[in-house]
Amino acid sequence: MILTGSKIKSEFKRGNIIISPFSDDQINPNSYDFRLGSKLKIYKNKTLDVKKYNPVEILEIPKTGYTLSPDKIYLGHTIETMGSKRFVPIIRGKSSIGRLGLFIHITADLIDLGSINQWTLMLHAVQKVKVYPGMLIGQVTFWKVDGDIVLYSGKYQGSKGPHESQIFKDFT
Amino acid sequence: MNLTGLQIIKELERGKINISPFNEKDINPNSYNYHISSDLYELDHRKVLDPLEKTIIKKIPFNINEGCILQPGHIYLGSTAEVIGSDDYVVSLIGRSSLGRLGLFLQITADLGQIGTDHAWTLELTVVQPLKIYPGMKIGQISFWTPIGKKDLKYRGGYSQYSKPHISDWYKKV
Repeated sequence: MILTGSKIKSEFKRGNIIISPFSDDQINPNSYDFRLGSKLKIYKNKTLDVKKYNPVEILEIPKTGYTLSPDKIYLGHTIETMGSKRFVPIIRGKSSIGRLGLFIHITADLIDLGSINQWTLMLHAVQKVKVYPGMLIGQVTFWKVDGDIVLYSGKYQGSKGPHESQIFKDFT
Repeated sequence: MNLTGLQIIKELERGKINISPFNEKDINPNSYNYHISSDLYELDHRKVLDPLEKTIIKKIPFNINEGCILQPGHIYLGSTAEVIGSDDYVVSLIGRSSLGRLGLFLQITADLGQIGTDHAWTLELTVVQPLKIYPGMKIGQISFWTPIGKKDLKYRGGYSQYSKPHISDWYKKV
């Protein structure tokens, strides 16, 4: 079952959902809108390898915007620190962003219980598209769970800003 | 409702979920990590795809030492190393965030499974930048969801009968 906007707010007040900073204006009927933070990471190499650490460079999105191109993966982040120990978050872009051909996550929309971070966004543009710091870019929904809970304690816990893939650690 | 990792284990023990082979260390707080098998096929990227025609696919070398570099603009069909299914819960299949961060899609638009399926799932792989991957690696995650309503197991005749990467069967419907 999915939480309604007013339920997201009441569970936020009870401390079962973390969204910081939180604003009433960003509540939807059954989701909460989040904003794009100002930092982006791009991989330095064109060809990536899951077994190696793929180095990144970091850039600041100017107030005048930054153009994303289709041939690169950009790691962005939410301004909000978000998560829950009780409800499973699922993220996606806002439909206004999808209508411009911008993916804000690639394949992994499901967040682990207890993963409380500024979430990394995986930005991919179908056509060139400009993004701006602080823009409302995506939405998070919260879902009830069945069963006893063990919380996330993985490699991305405590992330601030965009966090590049740590999958190479699986091979060491 | 989404099953927690501990509940996935419970339902597996009760026979309500099948994941085989199963390994407890691949359990996440609310999903299970699957691996990619060594069966990898590529669609012809120069061809205009037509759902009315049978798709031609080519098996490509994919071994543990060399892996395979996936190229942007290409579509690859792979499969899970595990047989996964349930008659009682809805399965949803996606990639891991560690792979999404490298620009790898494991499914394209259709992450929702049907109740009654029990097979190795076909993966639809595509990349944003060239990416090297290896067979047997932990590549995606499946989650299980409680449905409401009377269950219909008619999907058993669909893609569920295949445990190798399987092309679109759209052309058979017309």
